[in-house]
Amino acid sequence: MSIWNYVVTAHKPTNVTHSCVGNFTAPQELNLIVAKCTRIEIHLLTPQGLQPMLDVPIYGRIATLELFRPHGEAQDFLFIATERYKFCVLQWDAETSELITRAMGDVSDRIGRPTDNGQIGIIDPDCRLIGLHLYDGLFKVIPFDNKGQLKEAFNIRLEELQVLDIKFLYGCSKPTIVVLYQDNKDARHVKTYEVALKDKDFVEGPWTQNNLDNGADLLIPVPPPLCGVLIIGEETIVYCSANAFKAIPIRPSITKAYGRVDADGSRYLLGDHAGLLHLLVITHEKEKVTGLKIELLGETSIASTISYLDNAVVYIGSSYGDSQLIKLNLQPDAKGSYVEVLERYVNLGPIVDFCVVDLERQGQGQVVTCSGAYKDGSLRIVRNGIGINEQASVELQGIKGMWSLRSSTDDPFDTFLVVSFISETRILAMNLEDELEETEIEGFCSQAQTLFCHDAVYNQLVQVTSSSVRLVSSTTREMRYEWHAPQGYSLNVATANATQVLLATGGGHLVYLEIGDGTLTEVKHEQLEYEISCLDINPIGDNPISSQLAAVGMWTDISVRIFSLPDLNLITKESLGGEIIPRSVLLCAFEGISYLLCALGDGHLLNFLLNMSTGELTDRKKVSLGTQPITLRTFSSKNTTHVFAASDRPTVIYSSNKKLLYSNVNLKEVSHMCPFNSAAFPDSLAIAKEGELTIGTIDDIQKLHIRSIPLGEHARRICHQEQSRTFAICSLKNQSNAEESEMHFIRLLDDQTFDFISTYPLDTFEYGCSILSCSFSDDTNVITVLGLRMFYPKKMSQPRILVFIVEDGKLQLIVEKETKGAVYSLNAFNGKLLAAINQKIQLYKWMLRDDGTRELQSECGHHGHILALFVQTRGDFIVLHEEGAIEERARDYNANWMSAVEILDDDIYLGVIASLPHEQYVFLEKLQTNLRKVIKGVGGLNHEQWRSFNNEKKTVDAKNFLDGDLIESFLDLNRIRMDEISKAMGVSVEELCKRVEELTRLH
Amino acid sequence: MGSMLGDFPSFDPHNFSQLRPSDPSNPSKMTPATYRPTHNRTLPPPDQVITTEAKNILVRNIYQRAEEKLRLKRAATEHPIPEHGSKQLRASTSH
Repeated sequence: MSIWNYVVTAHKPTNVTHSCVGNFTAPQELNLIVAKCTRIEIHLLTPQGLQPMLDVPIYGRIATLELFRPHGEAQDFLFIATERYKFCVLQWDAETSELITRAMGDVSDRIGRPTDNGQIGIIDPDCRLIGLHLYDGLFKVIPFDNKGQLKEAFNIRLEELQVLDIKFLYGCSKPTIVVLYQDNKDARHVKTYEVALKDKDFVEGPWTQNNLDNGADLLIPVPPPLCGVLIIGEETIVYCSANAFKAIPIRPSITKAYGRVDADGSRYLLGDHAGLLHLLVITHEKEKVTGLKIELLGETSIASTISYLDNAVVYIGSSYGDSQLIKLNLQPDAKGSYVEVLERYVNLGPIVDFCVVDLERQGQGQVVTCSGAYKDGSLRIVRNGIGINEQASVELQGIKGMWSLRSSTDDPFDTFLVVSFISETRILAMNLEDELEETEIEGFCSQAQTLFCHDAVYNQLVQVTSSSVRLVSSTTREMRYEWHAPQGYSLNVATANATQVLLATGGGHLVYLEIGDGTLTEVKHEQLEYEISCLDINPIGDNPISSQLAAVGMWTDISVRIFSLPDLNLITKESLGGEIIPRSVLLCAFEGISYLLCALGDGHLLNFLLNMSTGELTDRKKVSLGTQPITLRTFSSKNTTHVFAASDRPTVIYSSNKKLLYSNVNLKEVSHMCPFNSAAFPDSLAIAKEGELTIGTIDDIQKLHIRSIPLGEHARRICHQEQSRTFAICSLKNQSNAEESEMHFIRLLDDQTFDFISTYPLDTFEYGCSILSCSFSDDTNVITVLGLRMFYPKKMSQPRILVFIVEDGKLQLIVEKETKGAVYSLNAFNGKLLAAINQKIQLYKWMLRDDGTRELQSECGHHGHILALFVQTRGDFIVLHEEGAIEERARDYNANWMSAVEILDDDIYLGVIASLPHEQYVFLEKLQTNLRKVIKGVGGLNHEQWRSFNNEKKTVDAKNFLDGDLIESFLDLNRIRMDEISKAMGVSVEELCKRVEELTRLH
Repeated sequence: MGSMLGDFPSFDPHNFSQLRPSDPSNPSKMTPATYRPTHNRTLPPPDQVITTEAKNILVRNIYQRAEEKLRLKRAATEHPIPEHGSKQLRASTSH
């Protein structure tokens, strides 16, 4: 890795940590606001479900998120505090659809010990103050004045040092907090304090409650009329107020999240560590609490946050599994569950380990992650680019073009696949057995190369060869009309739609024909000054079968021109610059925006916005897709049109949020593609590649593809073994009722089906810390090595290293070696085994004993590290990442050209670190600096401060790392802002776009 | 159980009325547009940039107590107690 780096997230954070519901975007609109680490998402509740409105990057990791309604306001404000002690209050301005900052600030203290149990940020229900517990022994108050403005913050000494939770009580004349804490004898109590704003101090509150459940961890304040607080423990739930105390026992569980159902606070949803969802009810007679009731509703993902939305629909946000939208039914289903999952939202986190493999052997690395935790543990196969799922394939050399045709105009499916070769044309069709077989369209010329084919009106087909244009009946397959090229001219380029044909002959002649019932009429002929290289008349205007514009690419002056149809008037001429001729032009429309795409012979692609009424081309952008000529074709998938760019690096061009995106297709080289939507293979593509014709379906069009393999247990380490085509994982399973609640396993999985094929249970109190597949010198076997650690060192013997071979799909233990500490990391090193054992690095030799068995023999070691956690080797070098000295745990795998993958500190981002040449680094750093001036931090938060390095001891500016997320946001800017940056940089917008787009193609 | 589950709050009866459960193997792929503010109101009004008061708790307490004493003293001088009991008492202790 070089010292000049570009860091970009390949996948936005998906781990949901907070959520809240309120009227944020308008007084009548109900919104769900979700925090995912460094981003918030604003959703709107609609009859169709949750409608995502905005994804808001926050320059900081979100620690608390609260909606509140200041006095006199018609809608809610959003309070966000970040882990690095910044906070902001945001308001939605509906007129401009912008987030505006009402207040912000820094709430850090120069001295103080950060809390162990997380930061607490709460808002008084009567909006008198914001309370923060950020450092042990301190409670920070930000008071509101009577106009709802925030005033200078101050600290109050809080006697309780081990605070577990703090909430504001409802219905108190003075702002009152309730504190759940643990004393120095590990007993847990609650205490109330009134906040005396004038004296800046606490006054003893109305009540206390001592000696609660030892697992009490969560407070739920109850709104009026009942008021008081619920104290959620592991074995009991208690309701407490100044004049009432009610308790019920519960089945042992750790409650992770709650959501209030009713405005009067009589019902709550509780989510526990096993993903069980309970309903807690406070029974009451008028305002007098009479008791508590709890009922199991069913199972969800392990919740980190629960938000009741509307009409019995609930959002379950999860850090350990996929987040969910659920409905609470009045009647249980067959399994007795009242929970119905309506939607699932992917969460990759927490990623604790991953490996990079090439499962499909296409030269495209895939990342297999150990994701999720506990019962929501899973493997996720994350693949960059779009996959083609091969359905059928035949060997066919020398394909020059392909088109699909229907047997009648209103047939929804394609029947014929026309495949053109240098001196012949062959027709393939689906037979009754749904097999592709060769057939004939009698009216077609089969002894020549086809230049273009298309379905036409009146059940006709059009075929263009170098000498003529034929019109053939699609039902009788007989020729109905033939138009011949003028004497001495051959047709070089052709295009057509259902009613029109546009041809180019040598000498720059452009000929326009219209298709009738059994006739072709030459409507217009025009001679241009140079030869024509490519044409398109794809109808993207109001008329679906005819185009009013024609796009023409030219040799010699290297231009692309727009002509009007039918009169062939030149409307626009755009010089492309350079010396590379356009090879393919395409008129297309995405999300209601019309574009002209123009592919050059060197793998570059230009795109322009096309004004359909004036023919004007604007907003030129250039990207590099490959190095070879590109052929552009449209295709549909799930009722949306996309463009396939066939080249040495096939790419799908699509649009998301009105922005063109480019996604790699996981194929090496594609010379031609055409959509082939047959009854047997609906929504398929015919693809010509490397002497082969393939029919396949295409994945959903998006950048990253994630496949989920639920394990029902928590995978912690993974390795892949190419030879046996297996994965080995170290996993743990929580037994709900057993005495020993954790069981640890080594499991072998088939790398195609992901089925468990062999399991090796570990001893009690023993778990797998590291796993590796490697081979040793002088042994041909590939071996799986496992490093173990004991988590109850007193009870059992030594930690050890186990060596397995995979034989007949089974894990066979062949050697074990005791070690003097936990084996945190294992690496293959020059045919030997390198192990990080506590503070020591140990090298083992693979020895052959006299009796033919093997053993691991210690060869040498290196001491003096704090705790060796990760070791990477390359060649003869060993890089060691130590705990304590580590700034960033980066693991650099050269997965596929240029791209590398890393885990950042909290294991919840999936990202890319790419090394940059110094020149590019300097250029991009300048761009980043300029972008900081134009793109403002939401809530007034500062980008530079956020990206600075920080630990307990120091904070310094980020060096040698660029934030790709900020740099790539250049492409989201409007033209005016792009121009601003272009001016400041002294670089054209086109060049900036091109350089940034190239970076987006890294991931 | 039925009575516990019934009657869930409804703010707008139309919300979710047309939502059908999706294929559980197919996660939701709706991605909202990313917000890139370029306006100037990302900065709060100047008086709403909040900091913590510089005075530490101990110093604040000392001042508060001193002020409190002063207030009591003033209160005492402004509304002298007719019997002058405290004064006599203090005088007697000062011996």
